[in-house]
Amino acid sequence: MELTLELREESGLQWVLERLTPMSPFGRAAARALRWYAPGEEAALETELDNVALALELWNAAGPVSPEPEPCCCGAPRLDPASLKDTAALLRGVTRCLPLFHDIRGSLDRDPENPFDLVELFEIKHFLVTLEQLTQAYAKLPPFQDLAFVSMDESLDLLDPDGRRLPAFSVSETYHPDLGPLRAEKAALERSIRAAGEEEKASLLDRRHRLTVQEDLLELEVRRELTRRLMARKADFLANMKALGRLDLFLAKAKLAKRYGCVRPALSGEARIALRGLRHPQVAEELTQRGEEFTRLDLDLSAGCTVITGANMGGKTVSLRSAVLSLLLCQCGFFVFARSAELPLFHEVALILADTGPGSGGLSSFGREVHLLDRLLQHTRDRRFFLALDEFARGTNPQEGAALARALVRYLGTLDCVALMTTHYDGVSDVAGAHYQVAGLVRDVRGDEGDDPRSRIARRMDYRLQSAPPGAPCPRDALRVCRLLDLEPALMDLFQADL
Amino acid sequence: MKRILAPLVGDAPMVTAIGLCKNAGKTTALRRLMAELDGECLGLTSVGRDGEATDLVTGTEKPDLYIKRGDLFATARGMMSLCDVTLEAAALTGVMTPLGEVAVFRALSDGYIQLAGPSAAGQLKPLCASFAALGADRVLIDGAAGRKSLAGAGVEGTAILCTGASLDRNMDLVVAETAHVCRLFATRRPASPGLAAALDGCGERFALFGPDGEPWELPLDENGLPRWNKLPRERCALWVAGGVTDPLLKTLARRGAPVTLATADATHVLAGRNVLELFTRTGGQLTVRRELSIAAVGANPWSAYGWHFQAGKFEDALRQALTLPVVNVNEKED
Repeated sequence: MELTLELREESGLQWVLERLTPMSPFGRAAARALRWYAPGEEAALETELDNVALALELWNAAGPVSPEPEPCCCGAPRLDPASLKDTAALLRGVTRCLPLFHDIRGSLDRDPENPFDLVELFEIKHFLVTLEQLTQAYAKLPPFQDLAFVSMDESLDLLDPDGRRLPAFSVSETYHPDLGPLRAEKAALERSIRAAGEEEKASLLDRRHRLTVQEDLLELEVRRELTRRLMARKADFLANMKALGRLDLFLAKAKLAKRYGCVRPALSGEARIALRGLRHPQVAEELTQRGEEFTRLDLDLSAGCTVITGANMGGKTVSLRSAVLSLLLCQCGFFVFARSAELPLFHEVALILADTGPGSGGLSSFGREVHLLDRLLQHTRDRRFFLALDEFARGTNPQEGAALARALVRYLGTLDCVALMTTHYDGVSDVAGAHYQVAGLVRDVRGDEGDDPRSRIARRMDYRLQSAPPGAPCPRDALRVCRLLDLEPALMDLFQADL
Repeated sequence: MKRILAPLVGDAPMVTAIGLCKNAGKTTALRRLMAELDGECLGLTSVGRDGEATDLVTGTEKPDLYIKRGDLFATARGMMSLCDVTLEAAALTGVMTPLGEVAVFRALSDGYIQLAGPSAAGQLKPLCASFAALGADRVLIDGAAGRKSLAGAGVEGTAILCTGASLDRNMDLVVAETAHVCRLFATRRPASPGLAAALDGCGERFALFGPDGEPWELPLDENGLPRWNKLPRERCALWVAGGVTDPLLKTLARRGAPVTLATADATHVLAGRNVLELFTRTGGQLTVRRELSIAAVGANPWSAYGWHFQAGKFEDALRQALTLPVVNVNEKED
């Protein structure tokens, strides 16, 4: 499945990815090309999650515990508390090396007959020295699954003939028997140049110039040979860079999980989603900045379409986005923003929001919804998918819109999918598999008339999702919401009279 | 060799050769200093490209940079093939130029090098740190030439200002321009400790302070520029983070009320001599957050364009106009 920018932004995945901080160029490349674990790849995903869990244990051992005391690392190899201190030092051995890597993939993408220049050889040596330091630290850590580094000692010895592992490279005399004598002759000449007067200097410089040309040719010969021998190991270089990228990504995913108190999702075989204490980190952060708190949600979804109804500004869309974000994160091998999560794998996860941004391709909001829905249904024929719909068909006349929404809920019930739809239409929940209602404007608060309307609504709103019987009428809260939003009193009077 | 420049630069950790124009003798001054400091491990770099055999702008022959074994230098990767010293790649800087990333090399033999260093003054500081880490005793920078690109002199340490006949056919004008730049570099920090502390903490584009650094309200227009006609009439200090240009100084001069103009350092004052004189005549003063120094003025009486000054006369004229030491850096005339 393709994680389009639109989906990433609407679900909040982009926000999460912007907070993912791999340290090496290889980790950043891995984060840009996230693997999507489709149904049938559960074992591979479990391995990935095991690795993230291990990385999280390592981070927890290395630093202060996360602000939220919840990460449960089900399935991760538990570390012996006595060894935690050493683990911290070993992890630092790895994390210290990761930012030191330069991206040398471009240098390796060449004809082996085209010699590396001196700086490229320096960069390759730097890569190999850093890789050696990293693998030495890595070997002492509890092992990550399916992650191994190919030994490159031979290549390193080639670029570091004296074995000093210094971060510098030059074409040393040991590479060619003629280089030493030539350089000694040149050095002697340079000493005489320093001592020489203006007249003799010119001829000495001329002689020196001829020697530098010879030296240059010898160095070129050496560089050709080094290039041939290094390029023979190109596949190993690339395999190590890929392994570095994966290790870096495990650590970055775990760091994110630690920072936000994420939880490892349990994979369920059947089409059933169970999320406890779910939250949307982006919305939660915005709320925290305003001094408010995110109300965590509990959500159980099974095959077919579940409908959410509730007051305006009751957090219905946020619950859709939170559910989609959890699924996307899980299927990319991340921990999820919840207290516990049990999720199946889908071939496709889609989110159709009612608000069209710019560039909806000449379609109205209704046209766009229908178009996206049709494309998804065509695309996922006979494959399991997840679909979240925000106030589907609200952009057309209420009678037809409600009928279309009801038809869609019925139709989705016949497909291999889990769907979640928010709506203000009555009668849609009658045909749904399950029905949630936002608890709504239930709190009685007085004396805050001068406050920000958003805060006033938030204070009165209970954002929790509560199971409601099918067919329970949609709440009528528009009037109260308008009043809390300080709508023009004359207009409010007319509105009320009309009701 | 007679030591002329070395005593003047003292133990400054960085010395930048800056030129008032092309062919002012920057590279000659640098070569002279390198020769005088032959016991030190030097780190060499340039602001932009330098060290080529003919000047890419004026087409005149340029002096070579011949360095000694053990010295360090930073140049773009694309320049490697033009250097004939035995090279050791020692570090990469992350600074990109059109000629490739700037790398730091150690010379394993004597020989010629071509410099193409970072083009922004801000990139010089980390480079100098990297030179120091690799063991350089002192860093020499071949700065850019031209009245408005004194960049490179904005780092710590001292500068050698090179001036010469290439700037203008009229010697008096060359002397006056040189004196103007020397005066700018002589700008000091504010005498009031309060104002000095206020400037140190200033992060805005424009800010207004009282004589002792007390913050005053500065009315800004919709473009974020000060409303000049609303500035107070009594003496105040106006902080300008960017370049100080002719129009800005003219505007301040026209108000006819005294103002102290504060900039980060002297290289930020891009305004010309005449406008600066107008500004100071109307009671304006300059002050800087960071003082810079010029160790010596190098004079080159030869121009790249066919006219020359009389060497002795030129130097005498400079000595009369300046309080700084004026030196002839052309070693052939020793």
